[in-house]
Amino acid sequence: MSLEDIRVVVDAGESSPYRADALSGNAPVLLHELAEHVRQLVAAGESTAIDLNALPLTPADLDWLKATLGEGEISVTLHSDGESTLAETACPGIWWVNHHNEQGHVVSRFIEVAFVPELVKAHPEDVKTGLEHLESLIFDLS
Amino acid sequence: MQGPLIDTLARQGVTRRTFFKYCATLASLMALPPSAGRAMAEAMAAAPAASRRPSVIWLPFQECTGCTESITRSHSPSIEGLIFDAISLDYQETLMAAAGHQAEEALHNAMKENEGKYLLIVDGSVPLGLDGAYSCIAGKTNLESLKEAAKGAAAIVAMGSCAAFGGIPKANPNPTGAVAVSDIIKDKPIINIPGCPPIPVVITGVLAHFLTFGSLPELDKLGRPKAFYGETIHDRCYRRPFYDQGKFAKTFDDEGARKGWCLFELGCKGPVTYNACATVKWNGGTSWPVESGHGCLGCSEPDFWDGGGFYRALSMPADPLKMAATAAAVGAAAGVAITFANRAKKSSAKAAHETVTLADLEK
Repeated sequence: MSLEDIRVVVDAGESSPYRADALSGNAPVLLHELAEHVRQLVAAGESTAIDLNALPLTPADLDWLKATLGEGEISVTLHSDGESTLAETACPGIWWVNHHNEQGHVVSRFIEVAFVPELVKAHPEDVKTGLEHLESLIFDLS
Repeated sequence: MQGPLIDTLARQGVTRRTFFKYCATLASLMALPPSAGRAMAEAMAAAPAASRRPSVIWLPFQECTGCTESITRSHSPSIEGLIFDAISLDYQETLMAAAGHQAEEALHNAMKENEGKYLLIVDGSVPLGLDGAYSCIAGKTNLESLKEAAKGAAAIVAMGSCAAFGGIPKANPNPTGAVAVSDIIKDKPIINIPGCPPIPVVITGVLAHFLTFGSLPELDKLGRPKAFYGETIHDRCYRRPFYDQGKFAKTFDDEGARKGWCLFELGCKGPVTYNACATVKWNGGTSWPVESGHGCLGCSEPDFWDGGGFYRALSMPADPLKMAATAAAVGAAAGVAITFANRAKKSSAKAAHETVTLADLEK
């Protein structure tokens, strides 16, 4: 008998966690938390993040949350040690951030409440290095 | 974010954003606020030049090298390795190239040069039986080596359940008289990182904390970092809703098992086990025991091997705030008399997270 002969059944019956539409009911309350964070952003310019991996959310909850927040106008893809996507939702100031590793697995997942996510901004030191590079390009022209 | 480490990283093709991303993930795993990710990135990137990197000495005692395997097989070696670039690992028997007298010399040099400042990592328990003869390195008993190395250490990390709590060597009848590091050393800060093996990111997280803040993270009463051991497996388990609904797998191949119901009745020790498996998972976030269909063994708790059997249900669901570290696993699920329904108790217990009996849950 080989391994293939052993039948593996995953029952995607009602309320199975493998079922795509199994909601735990934990997602809707997050909207209230987000609203509070957005109020703080507007009032004090304070940005914050919610760590989605730390919350008991099913894949369906995440899908629901993502669909409910909708898609905004801007989406940033970061290519570094695996892909990261930072996408604005239909609520400006709320960003859906997924970090993948090189194998494509999601390593961390955040909802970031900010005008611009921290990761998108160029660091002044990197800008200085870039300027040196630019100057060397200009020097090469002359 | 200036300093030798970030320059070294840049030469290796690791950009600032990559490092930020890693630190954000690490901070999230350590349940630190979002701002901590940036603080960590700044502190580690600015880690001083090689001559001043914190020295780390790693002593293996009565152990199986599983802890070392766990750490060195962490899922993204290039990034996890960053943490090790920020320290100077001066002695690690399994990883070091030197052997014999050279290795012993490296150990003693490191201890002398960094006296009072080095971080001592210990994996494995310390046997006290037959005057410690059960485990010796270079003609010295583990007890002697530990006392000697602990003297000049800034802090001690007891890595894995054996070093933290005695682990499997200490299991009944404990033939070698094995004890935990904390049973011997009383005058140094000790951080316990239990697990058989511990989750790789926990050690890198602790090292990152040491490098960032120059101190050890906040510990619970068993000396474990609260960031990783603050909640039970059960608290963060994705099967938890089924427990709350009273839906349990009764065997490993029944309808409940196929539907992914709660494994409590199959002996899952999740309710009394404090660890981060449910959120961090294993093998690069691929899966973890409960997701693979097997209950938690409770490997990061003291005396887990003597808990009464891995397939025996806990006698009662735990209150994580009041429950003692080890569960009294009395009586298999089948033996619990189901006498009456108590819906009120069940729902109030859900809210208050009180102790309920199996009988309460099944109604």
